[in-house]
Amino acid sequence: MQIDWWTLGLQAINVLVLVFILARFLFRPVVALMAERQAAATRDLEAARAARAAAEAERTKAAAETAAIAAARTEKVDAALAEGEARKAALLAAARSEADGLRAAAEADIAHVRARAEAAVDDRASRLAVDIAARLLAQLPDDTRVAAFIDGLCAGLAALPEEARASLAVAEEPLQLKAARALSTEEEAICRQKIAAALGHDVTLALSVDPNLIAGLELTAPHAIVRNSWRAALDRILTELTHDGR
Amino acid sequence: MISSPLVIEPLFHVGPVPITAPVVVTWGIMVALGGGCWLATRHLKLVPGRGQALLETVVSAIDSQIADTMQVNPAPYRALIGTIFLYVLCANWISLIPGLEPPTAHLETDAALALIVFVATLAYGVRARGLGGYLKTFAEPTWVMIPLNVVEQITRTFSLVVRLFGNIMSGVFVIGIILSLAGLLVPIPLMALDLLTGAVQAYIFAVLATVFIGAAVSEGEAPAPAVPPDPSAQQER
Repeated sequence: MQIDWWTLGLQAINVLVLVFILARFLFRPVVALMAERQAAATRDLEAARAARAAAEAERTKAAAETAAIAAARTEKVDAALAEGEARKAALLAAARSEADGLRAAAEADIAHVRARAEAAVDDRASRLAVDIAARLLAQLPDDTRVAAFIDGLCAGLAALPEEARASLAVAEEPLQLKAARALSTEEEAICRQKIAAALGHDVTLALSVDPNLIAGLELTAPHAIVRNSWRAALDRILTELTHDGR
Repeated sequence: MISSPLVIEPLFHVGPVPITAPVVVTWGIMVALGGGCWLATRHLKLVPGRGQALLETVVSAIDSQIADTMQVNPAPYRALIGTIFLYVLCANWISLIPGLEPPTAHLETDAALALIVFVATLAYGVRARGLGGYLKTFAEPTWVMIPLNVVEQITRTFSLVVRLFGNIMSGVFVIGIILSLAGLLVPIPLMALDLLTGAVQAYIFAVLATVFIGAAVSEGEAPAPAVPPDPSAQQER
């Protein structure tokens, strides 16, 4: 076995030189580049992390602003709704009050018109009834229109209070006796006799004719009137009918 | 025809220095590796191409191997271990070029490599532990072991030499014998096997060198940082 020491030494030197060459031209630049890439990646990661944190902060801030805006909007909407409700209630109340007033006025007008219409109808009906009664009475015998009412007139005088009858007796002016037609002498005597009997003393009568009485008599003194005629009866009936209808 | 591997004839002389074929081939490998690396690393980019990705993968694999084996930061050892691996690999595979003989098929080259590993082991051990601390490791676990530990240092260096020399020389020798006996294409399967053997021997030599250096510095340095990520994986991110 033989060893070439020159070759051994040269090979050792060669390997050491190769170590230097590869360290200089392979390992160092490649490792530096890998470290640079790793640093860049770390830097990018840090930047991305910072950007993400910033984005998260922005998102949180935006969410808070959105919530605040939503709260303000809700508050304003609620306020507007409340104001609207208040205005609506006020308008409704005013409208209801106005409508109630209008309705009350209309009802009053309607009632008034209805009352007037009813009164007119009643008046026309009463007048029509009186006319009918007058036409029917006109068909009765002429003496019946006076003779049949003398007793009633005397009964009315008898029903007067004593003071009223006394005042009639002391009257200076003659008593006015209205008849539906002119009295005959006989009828005048009968009237004078029965009135004096009802009053208890003689009286002076001033005769007059009033066709409106239809039938019957009316005795008028300064302080009293005694009626016993159809006109008075019809007026009383008309009054009662009119008052009953109302 | 290959001559005896135990005899080496100088090709020429530079003064008194004989220049043999392994030296010339090693120079060629140095030029090829150095020039190739210079060309390949002139325009490195953060986004690597295929060639740059291959370079980064090789460097990352070397770093990962060193860190896994030594459990220390691989930076101080990267150049030595990586150069040993790449040189031995190229030297073993140089036989693919017709007419060239692997320098590692000669004892002087293997001895030079082993000598470098031996000296590097001592240097890194002394640097990590100090001279006294490193010498104390020879007395572990007891002073009785000092002779054995000294002998171990020498014999494991010799084992490096003999393992690499035997494997490569035998491969070259077998191919030469078969080539002299059989046809031109018959040695091709054996040459393919030599490629595998050469790669395995380069890996074994580098790993053993790492283990020896790692044993010398194992208690004197801090644990290794995280292994640099794979460039391709980094690119994907």
